[in-house]
Amino acid sequence: MVDTTKNTTIYTTWGSRSAKPVQPLVAAKLISKAKRPLLVIGADALDSGLIPKAIALGKKGVQIAATGHSMQGLKGHDVNAKYINIHFLATYLCDKDWKGLDGQGSYDLVIFLGHKKYYVNQVLSGLKNFTNIRTLAIDRHYLQNADMSFGNLKTEDHMAALDELISNL
Amino acid sequence: MTKISTGKFSLEDLENVQITINNIVGAIEIKAEEEGIETGPTPKPGVSGLRDWDYKLLSRYQPIYTPVCDQCCYCTYGKCDLGGNKEGACGIDLAAQQSREFLLRVITGAAAHSAHGRHLLHHLIGLHGRDHPIDVGPSNLFAPNTQLVTGIVPRTLGDLEEVVAYVEEQLMQLLSTIHAGQEGSALDFESKALHGGMLDHVGMEVSDIAQISCLGMPKSDPEAPLAEIGMGCIDSTKPVLLVIGHNVAGVTYIMDYMEEQGLNDKIEFAGLCCTAIDMTRYKTDDRSLPRAKVIGSMAKELKMIRSAAPDVIVVDEQCVRPDVLDEAKKLFIPVITTNEKIMYGLPNRSNDSADQIIDDLSSGKEPGALILDFDLLGEVAPRLAMKMAPIRDAKGIKSLPSDEELKKLTSACVQCGACELVCPNNLPIMNAMVAAAEGDITLFEYLHDHCIACGRCDPVCPKDIPILNVIEKAAQKVIREEKGKMRAGRGQISDPEIREEGVNLVMGTTPGIVAMVGCSNYPEGTKDLYTVANEMLQRNYIVVMSGCSAMDLGMYKDEEGQTLYEKYPAKFLAGNLINVGSCVSNSHITGTAIKVAAIFAQRNITGNFEEIADYIMNRIGAVGVAWGAYSQKAAAIGTGCNRLGIPVIVGPHGSKYRRALIGKPYNEEDWKVYDARNGEEMPIPASPEFLLTTAETMEELMPMIAKNCIRPSDNNMGRMIKLTHYIELSQKYLGHLPEDWYKFVRTETDLPLAKREELLKILEQEHGWQIDWKKKKIISGPTMKLDVSAQPTNVKRLCKEGVC
Repeated sequence: MVDTTKNTTIYTTWGSRSAKPVQPLVAAKLISKAKRPLLVIGADALDSGLIPKAIALGKKGVQIAATGHSMQGLKGHDVNAKYINIHFLATYLCDKDWKGLDGQGSYDLVIFLGHKKYYVNQVLSGLKNFTNIRTLAIDRHYLQNADMSFGNLKTEDHMAALDELISNL
Repeated sequence: MTKISTGKFSLEDLENVQITINNIVGAIEIKAEEEGIETGPTPKPGVSGLRDWDYKLLSRYQPIYTPVCDQCCYCTYGKCDLGGNKEGACGIDLAAQQSREFLLRVITGAAAHSAHGRHLLHHLIGLHGRDHPIDVGPSNLFAPNTQLVTGIVPRTLGDLEEVVAYVEEQLMQLLSTIHAGQEGSALDFESKALHGGMLDHVGMEVSDIAQISCLGMPKSDPEAPLAEIGMGCIDSTKPVLLVIGHNVAGVTYIMDYMEEQGLNDKIEFAGLCCTAIDMTRYKTDDRSLPRAKVIGSMAKELKMIRSAAPDVIVVDEQCVRPDVLDEAKKLFIPVITTNEKIMYGLPNRSNDSADQIIDDLSSGKEPGALILDFDLLGEVAPRLAMKMAPIRDAKGIKSLPSDEELKKLTSACVQCGACELVCPNNLPIMNAMVAAAEGDITLFEYLHDHCIACGRCDPVCPKDIPILNVIEKAAQKVIREEKGKMRAGRGQISDPEIREEGVNLVMGTTPGIVAMVGCSNYPEGTKDLYTVANEMLQRNYIVVMSGCSAMDLGMYKDEEGQTLYEKYPAKFLAGNLINVGSCVSNSHITGTAIKVAAIFAQRNITGNFEEIADYIMNRIGAVGVAWGAYSQKAAAIGTGCNRLGIPVIVGPHGSKYRRALIGKPYNEEDWKVYDARNGEEMPIPASPEFLLTTAETMEELMPMIAKNCIRPSDNNMGRMIKLTHYIELSQKYLGHLPEDWYKFVRTETDLPLAKREELLKILEQEHGWQIDWKKKKIISGPTMKLDVSAQPTNVKRLCKEGVC
């Protein structure tokens, strides 16, 4: 068991509201209980060994938004993944009339993995301030603008935390 | 009735009274009429003058806000937490606050360029007089942004004063709206930001056409000479005189003095940032070799200073690190400031003798001097460099650790992660420390190019490891090999070039213009620029470079040892690579699009912004890429492109500009225009899909560029070419056939030739289109018709009279 809530140091601040640090088990429950979860996989997943974790999450039935060029790692793995630019995704998520990547409606929980922290924190800032969608960051960095986030983790602890999350889905 | 003209007048019988008339109401229109130029509806638009056009843009490309800060601290009511789009004490909500912040970035950038232009113009008029003619090459249309926005057709330096005055007045109006209790609408702040961006291109244009006209810079010359570039090309066995900044006015005096005194071979003269580009342009209109070397962008500033190689540093303005003096002092490098915008608290020595100043600086009595007299500067800087070099050599000044010290320093790392946490790019510094402690410096060599040398890591290290110096020391081998070539900025695209290429751009047979501009805050190092430019050049796009991007592109060579500047010709033709020049030369990129409308389409551009922007948006496949955008100036440049309908993609750091303008392709109503022939609505493809957005990686960037060069006016050959590139780049870099490719198909001839049958099958099976397989023709399915005669416009008044 990895404690993913210990180190929530931030290098800069966006405001007074900060993500609630979560344990892998809690994150798994959040995903399991969501009606329309969306997993957003960034291109950093390609070089950091996170693609197998993304595929494992996808195989649990979570729809995937593949941002950057992460699609390269997801194609041919029998997961429901579609490419979308992450800034476009943030825009569409702010639109109540958007029907989602599959035309079935928008999402109630958006999960982020494999992103540059400064970039995804901006995306999360938009979602935090202009939508009611819940966001969960399961990256290696504490992401202040998510509703819930893992803390800052060493790579091996991060991998173990993801395994724990996946096994509890 | 007496006709009054501008000028100075004395009145009879009144001693010591002189009347000066600077501006006359309606003078622009009168002058234009006299010259037979038709003036459009909006010469010198005020803040609301193009608001209707802005609102058209903003209805399709709505702002998306990603705040960098959820709070407002503008007035003493606050700080106010606006999180969740709450209102602050003054009543402003977070969306409006973000748009206000964005506006402030834009007008700050525009002010930097325009104040640069004002300084240059004042200086050059002092030297050459108001009647000095503007000469930028073989063009009649030599100030397209100026003419489009202000209605003024400048012929002389003096004519540009009125243009700058207009820009300054408008920027002041915009700045006033930042004040608490002014604008409350996010959309109106956005309209103001677009106004500021437009002004920026006018200010930049004034700067560059003034200096091209007076400083012997290349004039639309595709054969502009190649300059040496890179930290590795600096010969530090000679005295090194380093210049940093953007405004070459004072630097030209140094160059002239060196030439007169025969010092060109005795002093290593090099520059950082756009001053460096303009140093290589100075007096090279005869294609002679540049007399200065280019080190690179702002990301090289701290590295270059800490290499201890410079013997004297001269700074002018913009993108100069505020800690230059502090860093230089540590290494006994005197600093000379030359511009009122940067004075560093140094004493003003402008009225002292060169000998006095040189004595005080070389003895260490003063760390530097402010010299605003350029004649004096021209003499002091080279003489001081000659004097400092042996003094500094004798003192054995160095900054970087020895090999032994490197090992000791890297072994001291305790892997706390503080450096990585503050690193803007989250670079894996800890792993590199561990490897280096074991003798493997390859990770640091990799980090060198990814590191923007901000130095944020140094002060947070609990073991006081000078991390930036460690990176630089470990990467010495790589740095020594940093030698490339950059074509000196050629200035504008000439009218004859537009005549030759305009039709291909509008029909789409030249797939597009990719303008790679801006700064060096890249997400994954400088090489991405090379990869993208090379790919797009191979695909026959016209690649236009400027500023720091133009420099960084020259750092890489192919297998045959050639940089892209050496490999590709530099005309305004498909598959050519152009460097227009420094930061202020960005105006020539928008100027090119305006010229296409004027020269190819014979549209009147004078004071006719809306019509020309509408033309550009619907017909010219151009995409701006500011992959490493960091500055307020980059925000202004991009926003100026946006008001002209040119989409811009910034790198992931660009998300910190706080707002993007992104369309929604799934809202079909947003993608309709009028056909000006009959006023009927016609559907158009969702391209450009955005006006400003970010891309995550260069792999994602490339298909985005290709797709967003698609325009309603493409003929079938043009659409086929553009669609081919979009599909191929998506497959190559994203690993998939893009989902929306079929939305750009109007007829089977739009389909990529090599994949036509395969794609027809997909259209039939997955999208339900009817195909005549005998003739291999599409019978039904497309939502758009191919009609090359159509006249797409967003502006109702441009439809033929009576039909709209």
